[in-house]
Amino acid sequence: MKRSTTALATVLALTGISAHSAELRMSWWGGDSRHVATQAALEVCGAKTGHSIKPEFTGWGGHLEKVTTQLAGGTEADIMQLNWPWLPIFSPDGTNLVDLNTLSDTIDLSNWNEAAIAQATLGGKLNGLAASQTGMIYWFNQDIYEQAGLALPTSIDDLVTAAAVFEDKLGEGYFPFYLVGEDVVKWLQNVVAQSTGKGLIDDSTMTVAYTQDELVAGIEMYQMLVDAKVTPSWPDAAAAGNVQLYENPSWADGHYAGTYVWDSTYFKYAEPLTVGTLVPSGLLSVEGGSNDGVYRKASMVFSLSKNSDNLEAAAQVLNCLLNEPEGITAMGTARGLPASKAAQAQLAADGSIVDIQTEANDMVLQASGPEVSAYAEHPEVRSLMTDTLELFAYGELSAQEAAEEIILGTNEVLEKYK
Amino acid sequence: MGGESRYMGLAYVLPYVIGLLIFTAFPFGYSFYLSFTDYNLMSDPTWVGTKNYEKLFTRDRTFEKSLKVTLLYVFLTVPLKLVFALFIAVILNYRLRAIGFFRTAYYVPSILGGSIAIAVLWRYIFADTGLVNMGLEFIGLEAINWFGNPTNALFTITLLRCWQFGSAMVIFLAALQSVDKSLYEASAIDGANKWHQFRYITLPLITPVIFFNLIMQTVQAFQEFNGPYIITEGGPLKSTYLLPLYIYEKAFKNFDMGYASAIAWVLFVIIMVLTVVAFWSSKKWVYYAGDKRS
Repeated sequence: MKRSTTALATVLALTGISAHSAELRMSWWGGDSRHVATQAALEVCGAKTGHSIKPEFTGWGGHLEKVTTQLAGGTEADIMQLNWPWLPIFSPDGTNLVDLNTLSDTIDLSNWNEAAIAQATLGGKLNGLAASQTGMIYWFNQDIYEQAGLALPTSIDDLVTAAAVFEDKLGEGYFPFYLVGEDVVKWLQNVVAQSTGKGLIDDSTMTVAYTQDELVAGIEMYQMLVDAKVTPSWPDAAAAGNVQLYENPSWADGHYAGTYVWDSTYFKYAEPLTVGTLVPSGLLSVEGGSNDGVYRKASMVFSLSKNSDNLEAAAQVLNCLLNEPEGITAMGTARGLPASKAAQAQLAADGSIVDIQTEANDMVLQASGPEVSAYAEHPEVRSLMTDTLELFAYGELSAQEAAEEIILGTNEVLEKYK
Repeated sequence: MGGESRYMGLAYVLPYVIGLLIFTAFPFGYSFYLSFTDYNLMSDPTWVGTKNYEKLFTRDRTFEKSLKVTLLYVFLTVPLKLVFALFIAVILNYRLRAIGFFRTAYYVPSILGGSIAIAVLWRYIFADTGLVNMGLEFIGLEAINWFGNPTNALFTITLLRCWQFGSAMVIFLAALQSVDKSLYEASAIDGANKWHQFRYITLPLITPVIFFNLIMQTVQAFQEFNGPYIITEGGPLKSTYLLPLYIYEKAFKNFDMGYASAIAWVLFVIIMVLTVVAFWSSKKWVYYAGDKRS
C-alpha cells in the first residue's frame, strides 16, 4: 500500500498534475461553434491542470435568468462567462464576484491592456477578464448582392437603392438587410450617435443624452427603411415565430442579405448560410453624420464565483483557457478575436484567425463614436426600448410618442442607480 | 390502531410532509413577505409596505395588458379543451375496433404537450413557411401570419393548450364508463334517442368529473408558461404575454423579486376567487351519487 501511494505521488509529481484534483463547473452561452470549442478547451485544460470541469452551456436566451438565479442562491458555476453590462448589476461594488487581482500569481493578468482591466474593475476589484473587444457592424451576403449586380453598401442611402434593385432583379421576398427586434435598439443608437455625437446614456448625469427630436429622427429613419422594403417589417418578420435570425430559413437561403450584429458572432451567422458568403462591411454612414457611431464594448468577460470551494483550481483552469497554448488553440476565435495578448500572438502565428474576423474586428476598433454606457444594455432599458419600438412598428405609437416613452422610461430605470 | 402503528403511519408520511413544508409552504409564505419588499436578489430585501401592490394597480400598464390576455386565454382554452376532451371521450367510449390504440394515440399529446420540444414543433408548424401555411397555399388560400398578428398569435397558443386534451379526456372516459348501463336501456324503452340519453343521463351523472376537470384545467391554464415563452416570447405587442411570463421577466430579467412576488400573489388570489366561485356554483349543477336531488 505504502509502495503504491509513493508511486502515485511520484507519477503526479512527474506529470506536473496537482495532487488536489478539483471538480469544477463552467457556464457560458453561445452558438454551436462556441460550445464545441469550449468543451474541447475544457478537456485539454482539465487534463493539463488535473481538474475535471463540468460544462453548463445554453443559447443567449435565458442565460441571464439562469445565472441570476444561481448567483442569488449561491449555486453559480466556479467559472462563468458573463456579459460585460451585467457586472454592475451582479456586483455593484465588486464584492459579489472574486477579485481576480488576488489570483495574479496564478492568472497572468499582464495579458490584458489597461482599458480592459479598467472596464471590468468595480470598486477597485477586478471582477472579470475580457474575452474580446467587440462591436456592432453591418454584415452582408456578398453573393446575393453580386446576383443583384450591386456593390456592398457603404451608406444608408445605398441600402435604400439596393432595396429597389433587389425587388426588381431577385424578386419578392428578398431584402438587402434585416433589422427587427432588439437589433433595432442598437441600430437606432448607431444612427443617432452618428448625427449627434452622443451615446444613449450620459453616465455623468445618469439620464438619456438624446433629445426627443434626435430620437424621433432615428425612429423615422427606421420607418423609412421599412417603407422602402430595405428590411421586412416587424410584423412580417414576427411570422417566423420566436427564432433568432441565424435560425431563420430566410437568412440561410439568402432572402435576407444583411444584418447588423456583433463582429464576434461571425461564425454563428456565417455557418448556417446555405447560399452565399458573409462579409463585414463596417458601419454605414448617415447623411450629415459626424462620426461612425460605433457601438463598441468589452464583449463577455470570464469571472470566478466567490462561492467556489476550489478557487485556486478555477484560476488555474481559467489561465489555461485564456493564456496557455493548449487552451488558446482549443478556444480559438469562438468568442471573437481574443483580448489576451498571449492568445492574440499565438493564434496570429499559427494562422488560426480567419481573415474576415480580423477585418471585422479592425473595423470595430478603428471606428469612431461616443463611449457606450454599461447601462445601455441594462435588461430593463433593453426591454423598454424593444417594447416601445415594437409598438411603433405596429402603428400603436407615433415616432414622437415612442421617443418620449423611451426617454421617460429609461430615465426612470436609471433613477435607481443614481 | 395501536400506538406503534400510528407512529409508523406518521413515519411513512413524514418525507412528504417535510417536502411540503420546505418546497411548498415555506416558499409560499416567503413570497408573500417578499411581495412587501424591494428585493433585487443580490442584496437583502428592504421593506416597502404596499408599494408594489399600489404600483401594480395604479401605474403598471403591462400588468393590466397581461392580466387581460391571461383572462382571455383562460376563458378561451378551458371551455374549448373540456368540450373537445368530452367529445373525444364519448367517441372513444364506443366499442370500436382497435379502440385501445386510439385511446393511447389521443392520450399521447397530453404527455408530450407541455414539453419544450412540442412548443418548438408548434413554432415550426405555424411559422410563415411552416406546415399549416404550406397546406393553405396548396389548396389555393393565402398564407396567414400566425405569430406576427396579435389575434392569431393568441389563437395558436390556445390551440396548443387544447391539443393537450388527453388527461382530461381519460378522466372523462373513466366517468363515462362508470355510468350505469341499465339507465340507458330503461330510457331506450321509453323512446329516448342518443342525444336525449347524453343530455339527460350521461351529462348529469358525470358532472362531478366535469367539475373536477374544470378546476384543474383552470388552475393549469392560469399557470401556462412554456408555450407562449417558446413560441412567441409573449409577443407580438404582448398579445400572448401571460402573467407567468411577466412574473418571470420581473423576477429574473429585471431583478425585481418583490414586485414579481406581488404579481404572483395577485394571480393566486384570482385563481382562488374563481375556484371559490366554481365551488359555490357547483351546488346548483353538480350531482353526486346519493345526493337527494338525483
